[in-house]
Amino acid sequence: MVALRHAILVLALSMVCGIPRVLRADEDLGARWGTAEEEAKYYPIVSIPIPSGIPLRPGGLEILPDGRLAVGTRRGDIYFIRGAFDSPPRPEYHLFASGQDEIFSLSWRDGALTATTWSEVTRISDEDGDGVADRYDTLTSSWGYAEYHEFAFASKHDPAGNLWVALGLSSSYESHNLFRGWAVKVTPDGRMIPVCSGLRSPGGVGTNAQGAMFVIESQGPWNGCCSLKHLKEGAFLGHPASYNWYPYAPGLKAPELEPNSDSRMGVEKRRVRELVPPAVKFPYIRMGRSISGFRVDTTGGKFGPFAGQLFLGDYSLSLVLRATLEQVNGVWQGACYPFREGLATGIMNVEFSPKGQLIAGGFTTSRQWPVRGTEPFALQRIDWNGVVPFEVREISIRKDGFVVSFTQPVDPAVAARTNTYQVTTFTHVYHAGYGSPEVDQTTAKIVRAVPAADGLSVRLHLDRVIEDHVHEFDLGGITSPEGKHLLHAKAYYTVNEIPPE
Amino acid sequence: MKPTSAPSLSLTGWARIRRGLAWIALGLGLITVPALTASPIVSGLVRSSLDPETKGLILIEELGCVSCHSAGGTLASRSKKAPRLSDLGDRVHPAFLLQFLRDPHETQPGTTMPDLLAHLDAGDREPTATALSHFLLSGGSGRFTPGAPDAVAARQGFRLFHGRGCAQCHAPRDEQGRERPGADSAPLGALERKYDLQGLIAFLQHPHTIRPSGRMPDLRLQARDAERIAHFLLQDTRVPGALGYTRYRGPVWEGIGSDEVTAERAGLVRDFNLQSLGDVHHHTAIRYEGRLRINDPGRHTFHLRVNGGLLELDGKRLAQLDPSDRRGVESLEGAADLDAGWHRIRLDYYHTGEEPSFSFEIEGPHLKRQPIPASLLSISDQPIPVFVPFQVESALAARGREAFGALGCANCHDDLKVSPRTAPELAKLNPDRGCLSTNAGAWPRFDLSEQQRNWIAMALPHAGQPSLNDALQLDKTLVTFNCIACHERTGLGGIAADRNALFTGSQPALGDQGRLPPPLTQVGAKLTREGIADVLLHGHRERGYLDASMPQFGEANVGHLVDLLGAVDTLEAAPIPALTDIPAAKSAGRELVGSSGLACIACHEFHGQKSGEVGALDLSHVTGRLRKNWFHLYLRQPARFHPTVIMPAYWPDGRSGLTNLLGGDAGRQIEALWTYLEDGDRARNPTGLARTSHELRVSDTPELCRGQSPAGYRGIAVGYPERIHLAFDSGEMALRRLWKGEFVSIDDGSFQPRGTDTISFPPGIPFHRLASPDAPWPYKGKSNHAFPQDHGYVFRGYHLDAMRRPTLLYRYGDIAVEDYFEDVRAPDGPAYFRRTLRFDAPAGQPAFQFRVAVGKQVRATDGREFIVDRLNLRITSGHRGTVRTGDPGEVLIPLQLPEGRSTLTLEYRW
Repeated sequence: MVALRHAILVLALSMVCGIPRVLRADEDLGARWGTAEEEAKYYPIVSIPIPSGIPLRPGGLEILPDGRLAVGTRRGDIYFIRGAFDSPPRPEYHLFASGQDEIFSLSWRDGALTATTWSEVTRISDEDGDGVADRYDTLTSSWGYAEYHEFAFASKHDPAGNLWVALGLSSSYESHNLFRGWAVKVTPDGRMIPVCSGLRSPGGVGTNAQGAMFVIESQGPWNGCCSLKHLKEGAFLGHPASYNWYPYAPGLKAPELEPNSDSRMGVEKRRVRELVPPAVKFPYIRMGRSISGFRVDTTGGKFGPFAGQLFLGDYSLSLVLRATLEQVNGVWQGACYPFREGLATGIMNVEFSPKGQLIAGGFTTSRQWPVRGTEPFALQRIDWNGVVPFEVREISIRKDGFVVSFTQPVDPAVAARTNTYQVTTFTHVYHAGYGSPEVDQTTAKIVRAVPAADGLSVRLHLDRVIEDHVHEFDLGGITSPEGKHLLHAKAYYTVNEIPPE
Repeated sequence: MKPTSAPSLSLTGWARIRRGLAWIALGLGLITVPALTASPIVSGLVRSSLDPETKGLILIEELGCVSCHSAGGTLASRSKKAPRLSDLGDRVHPAFLLQFLRDPHETQPGTTMPDLLAHLDAGDREPTATALSHFLLSGGSGRFTPGAPDAVAARQGFRLFHGRGCAQCHAPRDEQGRERPGADSAPLGALERKYDLQGLIAFLQHPHTIRPSGRMPDLRLQARDAERIAHFLLQDTRVPGALGYTRYRGPVWEGIGSDEVTAERAGLVRDFNLQSLGDVHHHTAIRYEGRLRINDPGRHTFHLRVNGGLLELDGKRLAQLDPSDRRGVESLEGAADLDAGWHRIRLDYYHTGEEPSFSFEIEGPHLKRQPIPASLLSISDQPIPVFVPFQVESALAARGREAFGALGCANCHDDLKVSPRTAPELAKLNPDRGCLSTNAGAWPRFDLSEQQRNWIAMALPHAGQPSLNDALQLDKTLVTFNCIACHERTGLGGIAADRNALFTGSQPALGDQGRLPPPLTQVGAKLTREGIADVLLHGHRERGYLDASMPQFGEANVGHLVDLLGAVDTLEAAPIPALTDIPAAKSAGRELVGSSGLACIACHEFHGQKSGEVGALDLSHVTGRLRKNWFHLYLRQPARFHPTVIMPAYWPDGRSGLTNLLGGDAGRQIEALWTYLEDGDRARNPTGLARTSHELRVSDTPELCRGQSPAGYRGIAVGYPERIHLAFDSGEMALRRLWKGEFVSIDDGSFQPRGTDTISFPPGIPFHRLASPDAPWPYKGKSNHAFPQDHGYVFRGYHLDAMRRPTLLYRYGDIAVEDYFEDVRAPDGPAYFRRTLRFDAPAGQPAFQFRVAVGKQVRATDGREFIVDRLNLRITSGHRGTVRTGDPGEVLIPLQLPEGRSTLTLEYRW
């Protein structure tokens, strides 16, 4: 039974993480970026030791008001760790709660930790003050959970005290139980309010710097690659298997149309009014293959020059990605960038420490499930050592092109040459089949490149910007005035809308 | 036939020649082990340092002298009984039996079975042996059938034979099963000539049925392991067949040679039809090997439709398609010009990918395209004879029966109800005559060595009533049962140097202690009487990390050791201080065991929970097994008892490094440890105990776990210190299961109840308003997605009380429910659950029913007590229940709740 369950979990994870079901242990995980050694000069990885008796397979991460790190585990334990952020780390583990189902998310509010597991959202507190939880109040368990793939990932509390929970489908293709494939909002008094349909197999929920709520989605049917999707209330997010629960969602009306298969997102979003296209698409393998938990950098610069941006873990490739978002014509869109590879295990979640370190934790499930990191489980930290890397900071869209900003000044002469840049575009087939090849490729012509006076950005004028296309930037030709190359040369901008001006 | 006639040959000529040949071979370095010998081998004797007279006494007992030569005293009960023969025909090959009877020492050198036909002339030996065969085989049911050995099981059996301990008494073998004979090995010989699989498996599992004296111990083998060892020992059995096959499982798309692909079983199959192998699971590969007969020479084409396959004929590759798990089957073919006659054929077939299927056809001159018929296949190009069941001739059997008595066979094999032969009393024997002489005659011939004859001659005068003191009596038993093959006992013997490496274990970090069975030196002063009895007589196994089993020899045979060890082994008294504040002592003991003290749990398991990688003995069993005196002596100086022990001495010079506990005094700290550990399974968990075990155990506070389980996907299991447990379905707010004993196995996101005495409750909600008396009780149907919320149910979590018992919280419509279970132990009775349901209801709630239990047999003794199959249910509040008959029947409690709080209490006993 245990073995069977194990196998099933492997299968289940393969669903949530958005990769084909049949995998080989030695399957090629795709080429590395090859930048780990250079990244380490700015962002060293520090392992937080785990005593041998603690099966710390991290799922949920949270910072407590007293500065301790809370970790919710696969086994259903919650540990409070003091000293995790010291250099070197001197962790002391305290078992706060136990006996829960597998924990995927943790959030602290008003004297209690709220844990989200397969089956419910639970407010966990220590009433008698002995340091160990004694009240486990179920806020909601009103979603269906009766199959092995039905994961549940939650956000932190929003300003109103709600948790946003994303519920994976029953399988890649189907929704058998109530609200599978939906995002729901759980209020502080335990009401569950359905918000969006159309999810496939989400892996994390969180806000951006402006407080808009997003979910990370997996590659699979109706999803050509992993993507960050905006949880716009009332939206349909692309996978129609969950249409069947509209009759159970008071106040929400089912879309009149279903998307056509073998189409394009740009076509279907005009047909199906409720369809909200992914804000950031992560080209498969090149930019992760099973993206998991993410957090916005609210450290105010303690983590380096990317304040306000999103940092996302990847399970299969044991790395952390970076993303930026902007709203154009009322629709969120943005870009993703390589950030840090070479973590020790499959990353399930990330969290910022009060010192501005990025905590990354996770686990591997078995040898059948390919993960680049080799540790069965690990808790690590990415520290910024104060040295600013030469990186693309952000790409932002304009009517006829983009503004690419950098963390350090570029050589204006190099940056002014149009042949310094290569911009190609592609999109995905929007269809019921699994994943998608990259199609409709074009090569953009750089009409003009105008560096700013401070050298920290370049305005690129293209012959055209193509809606519904990912614009792939190769900035390998950019150099600093000292001739230094960018730490990462690639970036990918998803164009949903083109600004009028 | 003249069974009682005088001997015709003056003996031992052939035996001498054989012995001589062996010595020559040894001298030439052809054999590196002690020579083949016809002398009876009693394994323990060779290795022991016993005095010659006691050795003689053991020989007298092991050879069963008393079966012919009666003696007073306890000799008869101490002596080894010969194998039981009543169903011999079911387990022994007729040809082997005949040969063995004709010449037991040639057939199985070293056997303790005497040659009873040696004195017959050549003309009489054969017919006498034949007649005896017919008689002995007349008892069976004719079941004996040699079967094809499984080469995969045999490879596993090879490891088991050497790892479990078989090869400590029997000769080690090479991977092909060839025996390395030795003077200290109980002889087995080529077992494939003697046994069939079924017979050997049955014998390995229940050796004492056939050999009641326990010299061949019961290794308590699981059926599968007994089968593997039997396949190993019988791997040379040859039976005719069409094709050999080996079945592989794993990621077979990587090919049979992949490290991850494992052979699962092997055997014979009648053809290439997949159905001949029964159910073949996805991700399986089959390797077929055999011979193909070509009748008409010429071009032959082989058509395959497979996901992947490799066909070779006479070692030449004819067709190949690499398997893939990402596509379906494909067609391929190969062709060759073949001569008439037998050709070696090998086909690897891969059952993987999408909708796997298998088709393999041949096409050739005068052979239309078709699957290869079984008639063209064989595992060998040489004929293999078919086993023909033995036909007992009653006239011969009658003569055999007569000879069985007259020759003296019946004296030892006394289960066939044949009158024994008479012989002089033991006390009157002359050691220079009869079976003890080197002469041949109408007596059993043992081929004793000169040394063995001398030992027996020394022991003979006192064999009936030997005057052995306890120590010698103990040593004699340890040698007779060859305990010293696996255990060291100072002054007596121990593990043979050339067999030491055969002992293996799963915890290499424990060093030799992790692979060698523990020494027996002073074991009677170490273990309690119960501790010895548990291991020796009740099959208890403390050291799960040893590959060797502690075999069982039978209480009748070794039961006397329990007291004898205690009487013989003594140690000086350790200074043991009296601790008066027991709670403080336990608390100190707990701290010493935990990670902030001596960190015993860094190596030792505690109540089945393993903290470090080492996995040393479980501390929570210590005080039941060990004598307190030894515990004190051992902890002060571990190396005194185990020279290679890994455990450090924590109290050098009688002082502890932990001076804050009990003044750092060695005796007081050790006594505190003992006092704490005396609580056994109920001892509070020490600090720092690992949570890595998949078994969740309950100690002095309740444990809880949640997840996918037999109580639903939203199951909650609660384990209570009184060793009774429950599983609650928080999806439907219903009690689903009760059980006793061990709690649960857990995995990430799931649990599985363990234990015994399970009571299950069927799916469905607990409270409902039945529309009519015969309306069905609602449960979740496939399409009822909103169930049970549509019946007003909401789960609200649970709170833990000071004892960490949960109160489950839920709502049924406007009614708030608090549901609390308490484990209660009745005075002198078993533990039971007291359940308290507290309702908080607004005014005007319509009545509803509470379905408490469901069963096949439901009986009410009155309105408050119900028997539901094995469950006894009592209502202890003012409520009354009713039985709703049906299949199954239900116990319903009608509830009309008052406004505000009200309470219903129940007791569950089973």
